[in-house]
Formats: sequence, structure tokens, C-alpha cells
Amino acid sequence: MCLVMVACTPAKPVIDEQMMRIDGEMPADFSGSWERDYSRGDDVNQVLRDIYYYLSRTSADRAYTTRPGPVRPSSRDMQSISALARLAELITRPQVLTISQNDQEITVDRKDDFSLLCAFYDGIAKGTESDYGTEICGWDGAQLVSHLILPDGLQVTHRFTVSADQQQLRVVTTVASNTARVPVTLIRFYRKFERLPPDFNCIETLSMKRVCSTGEIGL
Amino acid sequence: MTFGARLLLLAVMSGSLLQYPATGHARDVTALNVSIAVFDPGVPENRSLHRDLQIFPRIREVEAKFLPFVLRETLVESGEWGAVRVVTEPDDAAEVAISGSIVHSDGERLELRVRAVDATGRLWFDRSFSASLSDDGPPADSGETGSPYQALYDAIAKALLEARQQFDDRALGRITEISLLRYAAELSPSAFGQYLAEDEQGRYVLRRLPARSDPMLDRVERIRLTEYVITDTVDAKFRELHGEIASTYALWREYRRKSVEYDRQNAERAQESGSAAPRGSYEAIKTRYDNYKWDRVTAQERDRLAIAFNNEVGPVVEAMEARIAELETWVDEKYAEWHRLLEELFDVETELNRASS
Repeated sequence: MCLVMVACTPAKPVIDEQMMRIDGEMPADFSGSWERDYSRGDDVNQVLRDIYYYLSRTSADRAYTTRPGPVRPSSRDMQSISALARLAELITRPQVLTISQNDQEITVDRKDDFSLLCAFYDGIAKGTESDYGTEICGWDGAQLVSHLILPDGLQVTHRFTVSADQQQLRVVTTVASNTARVPVTLIRFYRKFERLPPDFNCIETLSMKRVCSTGEIGL
Repeated sequence: MTFGARLLLLAVMSGSLLQYPATGHARDVTALNVSIAVFDPGVPENRSLHRDLQIFPRIREVEAKFLPFVLRETLVESGEWGAVRVVTEPDDAAEVAISGSIVHSDGERLELRVRAVDATGRLWFDRSFSASLSDDGPPADSGETGSPYQALYDAIAKALLEARQQFDDRALGRITEISLLRYAAELSPSAFGQYLAEDEQGRYVLRRLPARSDPMLDRVERIRLTEYVITDTVDAKFRELHGEIASTYALWREYRRKSVEYDRQNAERAQESGSAAPRGSYEAIKTRYDNYKWDRVTAQERDRLAIAFNNEVGPVVEAMEARIAELETWVDEKYAEWHRLLEELFDVETELNRASS
């Protein structure tokens, strides 16, 4: 259903100006450590099969065939979609997300990847722009949306939703590209877990690297 | 309080602030005293720009206190100047007042905007100085605590010297006199406001000089000396700060330099991998993603190092700031007291003169 909607609705920005504004507090609290719940979430192969099925029923190539029923999608279509699926799978691989949040910023730390950052100054989201891409974020109700725009129309969107009891997190990751007819979406679920309080208090320093102590650290 | 009682009280009180002997020796007029104010960190008010400009406000604040001391050392070593002091606030009455702001500071390049003004209000220069690691000076990883941007400080010292050489001894002597009278007029406007005037360019000019035997001037000189003792204590705090954080700052600078290098490498890799894979292939889109990823990872590592730097030098800076604040509170309180005393002394002496004549 989601695929059909994405493919059929006219292009609309993933994050509009309204979403980039907050009035007062952040609409939801995502802070904490989150561990992947492997019992739930999408299987990338099943997602690919669904896309194959969808394309075979909607392919433009159907117009050129007299045979009724589904038409095999072109290998080029499937190659570009496989590429998106591989990337989506890679991006959503981290087992643990560590999210820190204050009144102005939300940072999602992911192992082996850059941290997603959503910063609001005076209630307006500030994107990150570089020669390699643009990262913007916003709120869609209580959903945090992070949107990365890369060259060649490559786009990566994460939608974070936290359950009412604050114990479960759902992350919907969509990877889209100009070269693929439909985007690929993977849903991952996470469970909150409490990190054990450390035996030592540690801080990072430049000259001594990590400094730890059982008591207060006095440099 | 009766006039006699006031006189007695003021005599006692003024005695307590006249415990420092006034300088009687002749000064080398070319060796002007230089006052260097803590630099403006150059941090934009708009916080949303800090990340884009790679500005770390806390570190800039430390640099703003740290870098003037390096300039001070350069000027002292030149042997061309009198007392060179780092002060927390611009000192308008200083013989030569230097102020500056940090325009750019990363591991590779430092740019400062520096302004020098003499006590008459004459602008000596107001321009930017910059130096890169490739310029003269020890490399960042040499382990030396000397500034790798020494070329920059040398250039400022040279500009200052060249500016001073524009003046003959008489003009330099006039700067010293006006400096003292500006200080005196701030402290006791009733007694000294009459000696100075401002010309059409807003510069201070001498109307006339007080008598060399003027007891009020003698008191002002002694108060100034007292204030210099405190200023030198504050200056010593900047020296301590420099000594304590120089090696950490050198490390930070080295990390920043590496970060700039990583940025360059990221750009090169992005350039090389740009068109290798077929458009839309996994390799092509992964390359796009990775280019962004490595750029962000480099930026986030910079943020982490900035926090590590703050963790390490924060307590040192905070202790120094607390001590300086104590000293400055003391000076402010004393200054108000001196101001009141001098004004009252002036009134008393004026009355006495009037009575005797």
C-alpha cells in the first residue's frame, strides 16, 4: 500500500517549512539506548519481492504486450531497485541506536555511520549542507523525520516514531533515487534498554585520551 | 563633618593609598607601554552558523585569552616597548592600546584583525594579519610550545614598530603625557578635565600641562602604579594560563590541522570516485552516500575533539576567570574609592588655596 501511494502521489517535499518549525518543546522524546528487535520489521528480500510484484502489475511495458497478466519488470528496473535495497539494508543495519535529546538538538548515534543530527535554533530546524549533500529534519506530528538529499537524486529518509509507553521505537527508512522507478522502504523496530551505570566516571581529553575515575574527575 | 575633620580624614586615607613610591627616573620615550586587551573571539551571535563555520565558541573564548599572550611575548622579546600587559578590557587611556578579533582559526591558518591606537586616539593601524602553518614557525607536531603562527605575531610587532617610528620623541612624549592625563581625568574629572581637549578628529590634545609639583598628579601616578600592580597580577594569570594549556592547545591545533587535511582527502576521494560506476548501480549510490558519510564523520569527530579540549582546559580557564574576577572586583571597588577620595581632596585643596589667598 505504501509503495502504491509513494509511486502515485504527486511529488511533494518530504519535509515542508511547517514541519521545520517547533513551537516550544520537542513533540516527542526519543532519548535513550535502543536495541534492534529482530522479531519484528521488514525482511529485505520480501520487500524486493513485493516491489517485483508491484512493478509487474504496473509496468509501462504491459502496453507493448498482448499477453494478459503480469509482465516481468525490466532488468534495469530491478537492478536499480536492488541497489537501493542493498543501500537501505546497509543503512539500517546498526543493532543499537543511542539517541540524545535536549531542547534544541536530537542526535542519533549509529555504529559505523554518521550521527543523524536534528538541531533547532529559535524553533527553526537548521539543516546541514555540504558539497556532498543536504540533511534536513522536521516533525510530522510526533514523528521525527530526517531527510538526506544526495547528488543524482538519491534520497534517504528516516521516520522515527516512539510508542506511547516510550519503550519501543519504529524507524521507517526510505531510499529513493532518480534512477529507480519506486523507492525502497524498510521498517525496523527497536526496544529501549537501560545501560548499566558505569563503574567509572570517564571523560575524553585531548592529551590523556579517556580519563576515568571511580570518583569525581579532577584534571 | 567639619572642614578640619574632613581634612584630617582625607590626609589619613590618602596616606594609605600613597604607599607606592612614585617613579622619579626618566623614561625612554620610545618605550611606550602597551596594553593588549583579550581578543574578541569572533563568534557570530547566530548559533546556527557555528557548525557551518566550524567555530567552537568555548574554544574561541580560550583562544581569545590565549593568543594575546603570545603577542605580548613577541613584543616583550623585541625589547622595543615598555611594559606590555594583557588586560581583560580595552584600556582607552593606555599609551598604546591593542585590540583584536579572531577572524579565522583552524589548525592550518590563523587570521586576526588587529587595531592599535595610542592615547591621543590616533589610529596606528587596523588590519588583518594571517599566517599558515607553511609560513615560518615550528610545525604543529614538532612538540614545541612556541606558536607555529609566529610569523603572524612578528608581522604585528613589525607593524607596531613601523607605526611608532613615524613619531619623533616629542610626539611620543606627548602620548605618554596624554595617557597619564586621560587616566587622571577619568579618576578625577574636576582636577584634570581642564588639561585635555578633543580636536575635530576626536583626538585628545593637550591644553596645558599640570605643574610637575602638582600633588594631585603625584597621587594619580601613585594610584596608577597601584593599579599596574594588579594589572601585572592579572597579566601573570594569563601567563599561567598559557603555561598550563599550551601543550593541550598545540594538540588541538594539530587535530584541527588533520581535520582540514581529512576534508581535503574527502574532497579528493569524492572527485576520483565520481564517475567510475554506472549511474544507479549499487557502487554509484553507495559512493554518494559514503562521500556524505565521511564528511559528516570528520565533522562529528571535530565536535568530539572540541568537547575533549573543553573537558581538559575548562577547569583551568574557569579557575583563572574566577581569580581575575576577584582581582577586578577589588580594583573596581578601589577605583571608586580612589575616585571619591581624589575628588574630595581636590575640593579640600581648592578650598584651602582659596582660604590662603
